[in-house]
Amino acid sequence: MAKKHVVVDPITRLEGHGKIDIFLDDAGDVERAYFQVPELRGFEVFSIGRPAEDMPQITSRICGVCPMAHHMAATKALDDLYQVEAPSAAKKIRELAYDLFMFEDHALHVYILGGPDFIVGPEADPAIRNVVGVIQKVGLEVGKQVISIRRRARELVTYLGGKIIHPVMGLPGGVAKGIAKDDLPMFKQTAQDILAFARFTLQVFKDIVLKNDDYVKMILSDAYTHKTYYMGLVDANNKVNFYDGQLRVVTPAGKEYAKFPVQKYLDYVAERTEPWSYIKFCYLKPVGWNGFGEGEKSGVYAVAPLARLNAADGMATPEAQAAYEEYFKTLQGKPVHQTLANHWARVIEILYAAERIVELVNDPEITSADLRILPTATPKAGFGVVEAPRGTLFHHYETDERGLIRMANLIVATQNNAARIAMSVEKAAKGVIRKGVVSEGLLNKVEMAFRAYDPCHGCATHALPGQMPLVARILDASGRVVQEFRR
Amino acid sequence: MSVPGRRGIVLALGNDILGDDGAGIAAGRQLQGRVPDGVDVVEAGFGGFHLLDHLEGYPRALVLDAVATGAHPPGTVLEFSRADFAPLASSPHYVGLPEILAVAETLQLDFPADLRILGLEVERIDTFGTSFSPAVAAALPAFVARAVSIVKEW
Repeated sequence: MAKKHVVVDPITRLEGHGKIDIFLDDAGDVERAYFQVPELRGFEVFSIGRPAEDMPQITSRICGVCPMAHHMAATKALDDLYQVEAPSAAKKIRELAYDLFMFEDHALHVYILGGPDFIVGPEADPAIRNVVGVIQKVGLEVGKQVISIRRRARELVTYLGGKIIHPVMGLPGGVAKGIAKDDLPMFKQTAQDILAFARFTLQVFKDIVLKNDDYVKMILSDAYTHKTYYMGLVDANNKVNFYDGQLRVVTPAGKEYAKFPVQKYLDYVAERTEPWSYIKFCYLKPVGWNGFGEGEKSGVYAVAPLARLNAADGMATPEAQAAYEEYFKTLQGKPVHQTLANHWARVIEILYAAERIVELVNDPEITSADLRILPTATPKAGFGVVEAPRGTLFHHYETDERGLIRMANLIVATQNNAARIAMSVEKAAKGVIRKGVVSEGLLNKVEMAFRAYDPCHGCATHALPGQMPLVARILDASGRVVQEFRR
Repeated sequence: MSVPGRRGIVLALGNDILGDDGAGIAAGRQLQGRVPDGVDVVEAGFGGFHLLDHLEGYPRALVLDAVATGAHPPGTVLEFSRADFAPLASSPHYVGLPEILAVAETLQLDFPADLRILGLEVERIDTFGTSFSPAVAAALPAFVARAVSIVKEW
């Protein structure tokens, strides 16, 4: 039997570049599988020769979903490049804008993107397993609240960022704009409403998901479980932080493996290409690449909410800390290896973001006008890192003495996760493909495997989807299509 | 939430540093000053659910976007209306205009009754750069002219 190659591919790129390739062995069983991480070409070439100060604006255009994450990683890389530390008030403004963004993006995911699986249910009739089904389940009033609270969070981001899409707030050594005293009451009111909404969301998750045995079984299911390393940013007390801190890596057993500042990232993170894919798979350099495997001897690691909670010792705010403890208790220990627990971890992060937003708007320094220190050092190299909603985001630039870019390297969240996503897709595919026979549910099972990671669809900035076409093709060794699944 | 006194909105989508992907944005910029009073032209480098925030409250909307169907030669101008949308995407996780419309209807939001999309079939959308491929550059004036004629009827 000739080797077969199964491709699950969107017909057009309008809904992003998600694409699954499944390779079968001679016996018709799954040999390996991978998720094609969207890749845009020519970014480094585009950047070379441009002033480093433009990077926060340029990189925020890379992604229509996470402009703030790129903007902030770039801004922090500029601090480092010019060896200047932003004043305390400026850091708080940055963190406030960042946490508002994290809250908004996570809320969108919980209710809209992940909602069909967890709020409506994975086995629900496809006719209602969609955003409308989510709204009907939680109620119209809650649906309206989701729309409204997200919008209000975005309005505050726009206030601080200058523009919602391509923020202009971040400057080396500070921010362009702070909060006027007269506007502070509006910030405080929205912050309180955000916190109330976050508490409500945790309750919704408990009521709808955790009280349903089938959902809990699904979270705990072996199909989406991998014992790998985990990485995330932590503060000085090893608590989760989205905006700043050191990178911490824990082993599959949950022990601290490494803790390092972003400037050392190349000592810990390496990328590997496989002959059958253009994707670069990240792995832990000191551990080494030992294939798509689990355990302490495999350098495969994960990022994103589940990984962040695993990599930290707790949450820096009280209600999120209580939720964190309940999470690990319910899921029977730490680290949690079940990929689908990402959805729960995300809810805990929403609560943390909300509590931190309230802390920041009540900080006496938040209306300070001391927002910038002008850089004077000669630039050479700059490193920046943030925790994007989907995981750790690295920016690394090198410049000439005038600050013109000579080299730009970005590692986005989904690249960090690429190897583990491939493992999940492979596991899901093995469940439905045996001896060359592809059983029902291939597309759903495989899609659930990669959706749990919420992989970036960086350029999915478009409006016109038509359908979300997923096509699974089985090709023999000569490239001939022998079977095709479509929906 | 309505936008009082506004006749409509033109949403220009895409990425202006990603080659042909910036066609919608470029068209939006060329529209500035050529639309009737009461029409807002807004650049939007994002997609999905966030479009809802911008469309709500307007009676009419025109979305300008690069499209890559592969079914037409680059430079072809394509028009779609609400009737052309699939009811809902077959993936439960994807959020595009059909989903936004369904959400708006379910929640009884004040949403454009007249919603049209003007798409420009493009060639290269995966490589960073600020220039268009020749067919797209040549088609831009006609794309903009069609957008102007649509909003003049508002």
